[in-house]
Amino acid sequence: MSRSTLRFFAFWLFGGLLAAQQKVLVISADSANLVLSAGGLLAGMARAGADVWWVRVTNDEKDSWKLAPEETALRSRRESEAAAKLLGFRQVIHLGYRAGELAETPFTTLRDRLVIFIRHYRPNVLFIPNPYTEYDRVLDRFYTGRAAEDAWRAAAIENFVPPFTHLGLAPHRAGEIYYYAQPLDPQRRQAESTSTFVPQPKVVDITPMLETKIRAAQALTTSNEAMAQALKARLETTGRRLPLLDTLAPASIQKLVEENVRGLAKLCAQGTSYSAAEEFHYAGVEFRIPRKYRE
Amino acid sequence: MGFRRTFGSGMWAAVLLCLGTPSQAQEQLPLRPLPPGKTVFVLQPHHDDHTTDHGMGGLIARFVDEGYDVYYLRASNDEKDGTALPAENDKINLREALAAAKVLGIKEVINLNWRNDYTAPIPLNELRAQIIFLIRKYKPDIVVGHNPWEHYQKNPDHRNVGRAMAEAYWMAGLENVHPEHFLLGVQPHAASYLIGKARLDWGLGHRPNVFFELNAEQVRRKQIAYHTHRNVYANPATARAMRAELARLGLYLPEWEALDDQEAAVLMEAWHMEWISRQRGRQAGVEFAEDYYFMDEFDHLPGLKAYLQQHVRTP
Repeated sequence: MSRSTLRFFAFWLFGGLLAAQQKVLVISADSANLVLSAGGLLAGMARAGADVWWVRVTNDEKDSWKLAPEETALRSRRESEAAAKLLGFRQVIHLGYRAGELAETPFTTLRDRLVIFIRHYRPNVLFIPNPYTEYDRVLDRFYTGRAAEDAWRAAAIENFVPPFTHLGLAPHRAGEIYYYAQPLDPQRRQAESTSTFVPQPKVVDITPMLETKIRAAQALTTSNEAMAQALKARLETTGRRLPLLDTLAPASIQKLVEENVRGLAKLCAQGTSYSAAEEFHYAGVEFRIPRKYRE
Repeated sequence: MGFRRTFGSGMWAAVLLCLGTPSQAQEQLPLRPLPPGKTVFVLQPHHDDHTTDHGMGGLIARFVDEGYDVYYLRASNDEKDGTALPAENDKINLREALAAAKVLGIKEVINLNWRNDYTAPIPLNELRAQIIFLIRKYKPDIVVGHNPWEHYQKNPDHRNVGRAMAEAYWMAGLENVHPEHFLLGVQPHAASYLIGKARLDWGLGHRPNVFFELNAEQVRRKQIAYHTHRNVYANPATARAMRAELARLGLYLPEWEALDDQEAAVLMEAWHMEWISRQRGRQAGVEFAEDYYFMDEFDHLPGLKAYLQQHVRTP
């Protein structure tokens, strides 16, 4: 049995134990960031039997190349569902907020909508964009992460949005939380100052799921084309070229996306024995148990 | 007559510490050349932000010296900054901002006139839309301003203008963002580099990742641009208080002997600028420098950076 096959079974078995009866709720601002930051781990959890629901807050309407926002939103919706299917998710819920406009959305409005989903699906595990990530220039992720983090807390408290309680949505606390982001923040690996009560950096091996993650990322064809076109245009205006993009065919864009996912996986695996990884800030069951008792 | 000592140049730093300690220990950061391009956009809420010790006066002077066109977008009206009534402050600060911009070689000052210290409740998307329009009009390659991710940022104007900038500089390149602008003759244009500065006297601020070297002439213009803001800096009362405190300690500054309080205050601010530029220079291994958080053109694609470094061809 090859090493990679062994690793796959280890991942499957370990993931299976972890994921037994697991319910996972994923909250994202945009589609690409979710797939690129956490697609590998989530695919592993889904494959191991977890039920995964994805609440997609914005409609990605601006992430395209020479395409109207309405058409972009429609295509992005279909493509995010295709990516979710590849990752093994059960369902995508589209909230439809206009991409790039979340600064004007009242924080509590978004939070309370997210509370509904947490109380309805009652997840054990929550995935949210990390609002503390620095140098991510897409601030929708910051606004969504900030609201989602508070929704995690508020969903567990009876006096938040009482009307929902009357509809049978009882308070619920997710036991584990993953804060995800692409590796943009130079300080992301630094342990948080108090080791007991705050989410800490965590690197997860995604080697067995890397190919699945690549396919899911490739499914986001509209935003992928925008990325490739913008990159090509930037290089051309500065007298440079990337041979891969000389002809902007679907195959070359798919290859670029593959390189991106592999590059991210390699970057996240730095300093570990893994060949492909994802990075998170994570708080689990031990979140409320002081380190000295845990050890 | 009590004991008096000459307060020599080696002791200036001690006096200057009274004005604010600017820095924590820093690791060695790379000195980098200016990013390529022709046009720079300085985007700040206030008249003086780009000239203070935590500002970027030296870097602006260097951009100008190396042939870049530098535009300064001032988002607020600065009505509260100074000892006069708001409308009067607004007028004085604008006048001084224009004078300081001239010293640095800035080509044009564009005023948005949002109310000073009231940017927290304004629609951030509207502020961003104005910045996007101006980025499309002036087509900067480089945008510099407050680091939107800095910590301990007490001033909401700095935080909000920084946030609007963080999105505007790249969203201005998207066709689906404010298409109404295209009726006015502008086209999508994204800046490729973002240079962020933080107020290090307010805490850790941010962790800079680069130094830019300055020469003595650029530091000199930075000094003048700084104390040109007489409405808020170089106040004679500060020099008067310092003289009194030194006298109480039995000290005096020989350089101040022949100066009135206004001139002494100006000199004190100039020392401050020189001292901080030397401090940064020492850390960078050169005579003068400033430090920043620099976001490179492909930093937003962390997974592709290594691939691009390896495969991009330059004829």
